[in-house]
Amino acid sequence: MNRRYTQPSNRRLENNGIEVPLLAQWLVVFFIIGLLGLFFVYLKNQQHALGEQTRLVEQKMTELRAHHDALNAKVTALTSRGALQRKLDEKYLDLIPITETAIARINPLPNSGEDKTMRTASFP
Amino acid sequence: MALTQQVVQKTFTSAAFGKRIGLVCSFVALIFTFFAFRLVDLQVGGHEKYSRLAAEKHGVKQPIAAMRGNIFDRHGEILAVNVPVRTVYADGTHIKDPIALAHRAAPFLGLPEKELAIKLASKRPYLVIRSGISELDAAAMMRALEDSKLSGLYLQPGSERSYPNGKMLCHVLGFVDHSGHGVEGIEHTFDKELAGRDGYRRIEHDRKGLEIVLYRGQEEPAINGTNIYLTIDMGLQAILEKQLDTAMETYKPAGATAILVDPKTGEILAMGSRPNYDPNHYGEAKPEEIRNRAVTDMYEPGSVFKVVAASGAINEGIVTENSTIFCEHGAFLYGGKILHDAHGDYFGDLSVRDVLVHSSNIGIAKIAMKMGDTKYYEYVRRFGFGEKTNIPLPGEISGLVNSPARWDKLTITRMAMGQAIAATPIQVVMEIACIANNGKLMVPQLIHHRDQDMQRIEPKVRREIVSSKVAEIISGALIEVVTRGTAQAAKINGFSVAGKTGTAQKINTHGGYLEGRYIVSFAGYFPAEKPRIAGLIVIDDARRKSMANYGGVVAAPIFSKIGEAAARYLDLLPNPMGASVSKENSSSESNPNSSH
Repeated sequence: MNRRYTQPSNRRLENNGIEVPLLAQWLVVFFIIGLLGLFFVYLKNQQHALGEQTRLVEQKMTELRAHHDALNAKVTALTSRGALQRKLDEKYLDLIPITETAIARINPLPNSGEDKTMRTASFP
Repeated sequence: MALTQQVVQKTFTSAAFGKRIGLVCSFVALIFTFFAFRLVDLQVGGHEKYSRLAAEKHGVKQPIAAMRGNIFDRHGEILAVNVPVRTVYADGTHIKDPIALAHRAAPFLGLPEKELAIKLASKRPYLVIRSGISELDAAAMMRALEDSKLSGLYLQPGSERSYPNGKMLCHVLGFVDHSGHGVEGIEHTFDKELAGRDGYRRIEHDRKGLEIVLYRGQEEPAINGTNIYLTIDMGLQAILEKQLDTAMETYKPAGATAILVDPKTGEILAMGSRPNYDPNHYGEAKPEEIRNRAVTDMYEPGSVFKVVAASGAINEGIVTENSTIFCEHGAFLYGGKILHDAHGDYFGDLSVRDVLVHSSNIGIAKIAMKMGDTKYYEYVRRFGFGEKTNIPLPGEISGLVNSPARWDKLTITRMAMGQAIAATPIQVVMEIACIANNGKLMVPQLIHHRDQDMQRIEPKVRREIVSSKVAEIISGALIEVVTRGTAQAAKINGFSVAGKTGTAQKINTHGGYLEGRYIVSFAGYFPAEKPRIAGLIVIDDARRKSMANYGGVVAAPIFSKIGEAAARYLDLLPNPMGASVSKENSSSESNPNSSH
C-alpha cells in the first residue's frame, strides 16, 4: 500500500524513452496545420489585393463614365437647337436649299395649285 | 518526517477531501455552464442585434446615387440631361503648402489665389472649396496637382441638370433645385419617376478611409430614373417661340402665350409663354418669368367663347346655323343696360353662322338667352371651363365660372361673348380643338411615352360635347370667320383655316375694366377640312392704340406665320380648295328657324 511513496530500488531499470514515430506524427500534423495557416494568410492577402484592384477598377470605371457623360453633355449643348441657331446667325453654318432634282421621293407629290407645280407646303 | 507522512496520508484518504474537490469542481462547472449559456445567448439569441451593432460601428452605408432620367421631345431630341460635376473640398490636415496649392488650383476653380490660400491655410479636415466644377476641369486640376506633388484637395462626385436649349420650352420643362428635386414643370410633376431610387452598399473602411472590398456587405443597386418622351415637337416649338419673340418685340405686351395641339389626340405639340427664363440659371429668374401662363393664368376669353353658345344652341336644336337673329342695329337694351356690337357695327338680321363670322355680341347674347341659364351653363361646363384639364403641369387652375345661382339678369348676355368668365389658355385651346375633333373634347397630353415600356400613351376622350354634324357646322362658320370675317389676317397660303378672334378688356383689380388695355387672342386650326394643328395665341396688353388692338389685327397674323412655317415643317399637302369645299357643305343647310 505504501509502495507508491517509496524510492525505486534501481533508477536504471525505469527509463523514459522518446517515442520518435509519435513525435514525428505530431510534428507532421503541426507542420500541416502551420502550412494551412500560411496558405490561409496567403489567400486572405490575395483576396485583399484583388479587392483593392476591384476598387481601383470600379473607381476608374466611375471616372470614365462621368467623363463620358460630361463629353456627351458637351456634345448635346454644342448641337442643341439654340447653339445651331447661333452658328447660323454668325454665318458659321449655312443652310443650302436642295434642288427638286436632288430629292428622291418615295411617293411623288401630286401637283397642287393652279400653276400645277409641285411644292411641299407654302405658296410663295 | 514520519509525522508529515502520516498527516498527508490522513488528508488524502479522508472522505472530506473528496467532497471538497467535488464541490470546487461543481462550482467551476457551474460557472462555465453559465458562461456557456451566456455565450450561446449572445451568439444565437442576440445574433442579429449584435451583428447590427458591430456593423454600425465598423461599417458604413455607402449611398449609390440613381441617375435622374432624361427628358426628350417626341422625336428623341434631348431637352434635359444630367451633367456630372464635382465638389472640391480640402482636408486641412493633409495640406503642407497652402500657398503653392492655391497657386496651382486657383485657375481651375475660378477663385482668387489669395482668397483660396486663406481657405487652404485652415486646418479643418473638411472644407468645401467650390461645388459644381465640371468633370473635365476637375480632372485637369487633379492631374496638375499630381504633377506638382501637392495634396489636400479632393473631389466629391455629383451631377447637375442641364437644359441644352436654354430658355426654349422652359415653362414646360421646369427645373431642378440644388438638392435635385424638380421644382417646376415636368421636372416637378414627374419628379418621382425621373429621380429613380438611390441604392446603397454596406462597406467597411480601413484606417485610411479606403473601402475594404473583401468585407462588402448587403447591397441594393440604384434604380435609375425613367426617361420621358414628351409630345412636344421641338421643330414646332422653335417656330412658335420665334414668333412669340417677334410679337414681344413688335407689340411690347405684358405677356404672351401660344399653344399648338394635335386636335385628334390632344397632344401638346408646342407651348410657350413670355416673359420666360433660362432654367440653367433659375436663380436669376423673376417669379413672373417662371409662371407658366398657359395653365396658371386666367383671362376673359372674349369672342373666342362665342363658339360655346353657338355650338350648344345648335346641338340642342334651339337654332340652326341659318336661323335669323335680329341684332338690334348695334344697340340692345336689356336689363337696364345697353349692349353694343364691337367695331361699331350695326347689324340687323344675321344668321347664327354670321353671328359668329361677324362676332356679333348682341347676336350671341340672344342665342344664349334662347338656351336659358341652366342649359347654357351646362354647355360651358361640358366644354371644360371651370375645371382643370388635368394637363400634367403644376399650378394649373380651373378658371372661374359662376353657377347660375350667382348670376344676375345680365350675366348670360356677358358670358356668351366671353365676359363674366375666366378661362386658362389651355382650356380655350382645348375648346377649339374639340370643334376640330368632331365635337370630342380630349384630355391634353404632354407625355408621349416612357423609356421603360416604349408604349405610346393612348389619347383619352374627356367627353363628346356636340355631335360631329354640329362640329362640322361650327367649323364651316369658323372658316368663314377667316375668309370673310374678323380673322382674315389668320389666313395661311395654301390651307383653309378655321378660327375665332377674341378681344377682351383687361380687368381692373379695383373693379371694372382698364380703359384701352386689352387681352387679344386668336384660336384656330388648320387644315380646316382635316385638322392637323389647333392653336391659340394670346397677347396680353399689346402697346397699340385701341383701334388697332384686336385679336384679328394682333393675334391672327401671328397664328398665320406660325401656321405657314408649321405646314412647311410638317410637309403638309396644300389644298387651296379646302375652304371653299367647306363653305359649299355648310351653305347647303336649311333655314327653318328664324328668330329676332
